[in-house]
Amino acid sequence: MIEQSAQAELTEDYLARLDAVQPSDLPDELDLFDETTARRGIRLNKAAYSLKDADQRDLFARDEEAWMDQFGLTEEERRLIRSRDWIGLWRAGMSIYVMVKLSGVTGTPLPEIGRQMRESG
Amino acid sequence: MARILGGIGASHAPSMEHVYDAGEDVRRNEEWEPLFGPFQQVSEWLAELRPDRLLVIYNDHMDEFFLNAYPTFALGVAEEYPIADEGFGARPFPPLPGDAALGWHIARALVADEFDPTICQELEVDHGVISPLPMVDFAEGNGQWRIPVVPLAVNVILHPLPTPRRCYKLGQALRRAILSYPEDLGVVVVGTGGLSHQLTGPRFGRVTPEWDREFMRLLAEDPEALCAYKHEDLIKLGGTESVEVVNWLAMRGALPREARPIVEAYYPHKIMGYGLQAFAAAT
Repeated sequence: MIEQSAQAELTEDYLARLDAVQPSDLPDELDLFDETTARRGIRLNKAAYSLKDADQRDLFARDEEAWMDQFGLTEEERRLIRSRDWIGLWRAGMSIYVMVKLSGVTGTPLPEIGRQMRESG
Repeated sequence: MARILGGIGASHAPSMEHVYDAGEDVRRNEEWEPLFGPFQQVSEWLAELRPDRLLVIYNDHMDEFFLNAYPTFALGVAEEYPIADEGFGARPFPPLPGDAALGWHIARALVADEFDPTICQELEVDHGVISPLPMVDFAEGNGQWRIPVVPLAVNVILHPLPTPRRCYKLGQALRRAILSYPEDLGVVVVGTGGLSHQLTGPRFGRVTPEWDREFMRLLAEDPEALCAYKHEDLIKLGGTESVEVVNWLAMRGALPREARPIVEAYYPHKIMGYGLQAFAAAT
């Protein structure tokens, strides 16, 4: 009984809209920043977002390890930052919009990130 | 009563800032004339139109809002909007002048219309607003912004995003919000972002001019048709970051159905499909 009434409420139109909110049919080379990425990347994103702040940029320049200590990064995440592995950072959930801030402080031009991205395929 | 005088759809990008800041010679050289020439036309049109306010629908790029609490729609109700430091030091512009009273009215009008924005008394604006804005407003000689703004940020970053249809309806609600404002103000609605670009993965740098041109055609002639597109469709057609075009759709929703572009330019260049479309809308 309960199931039947739920089915009546969950109309086809509703279910189609629910389905459309989460893209599910993208080819592998097109990414999304969604639940999976947001949860995976939260530490890396917090770290790179901090670089909006000039004091954080100074600390990064002075002592990158001390800068990284603030964000509870995993050893693997620290390795990705140390090695300027942009594609690895992307796969680990870093948003391109904060990656740009990390590119600034490391003196990496966007075309270099682009080159790595293209070669990742 | 306030009136809507027109609308502008414009790309936003750090590259546009670099070109603007490099000065008039670079803006109008062979490489950039195809974009900055039409911007100049829009600027001249606006100078004649003399709008009292700009309502700027844009998206932030984690320069004000962050993943700790990401607002779906966020509305500025401040008297001024400082320029955000995006990680390289803030661009040397004075804060944008705002209009808190109009902002609060829009907040109430949206809520009455069942849109519930995050209400921001403090808001720093990033290149989503200020990469196109100097080309249409900044009075370079005296270094002052001329037209107060009300900024409205749309989440185009953290999925789930508001749907294209929802953004178009937001524009329609913004139209009612402006028309119901008692002061006699002329308002131009601006939507920024896009067009095609892909900044992540193996398709980095991919631009799709055919789709961009079709998008601009549909926006002008049949915006409801764009409401049927899902984000998934937009991503496949124009790239992951191209979903910013919903900001243009919101702008279009605020204009009369019969509005037509008076300036239109499209320039695919390097990693961006740059678009510019200005609509006159006498109401």
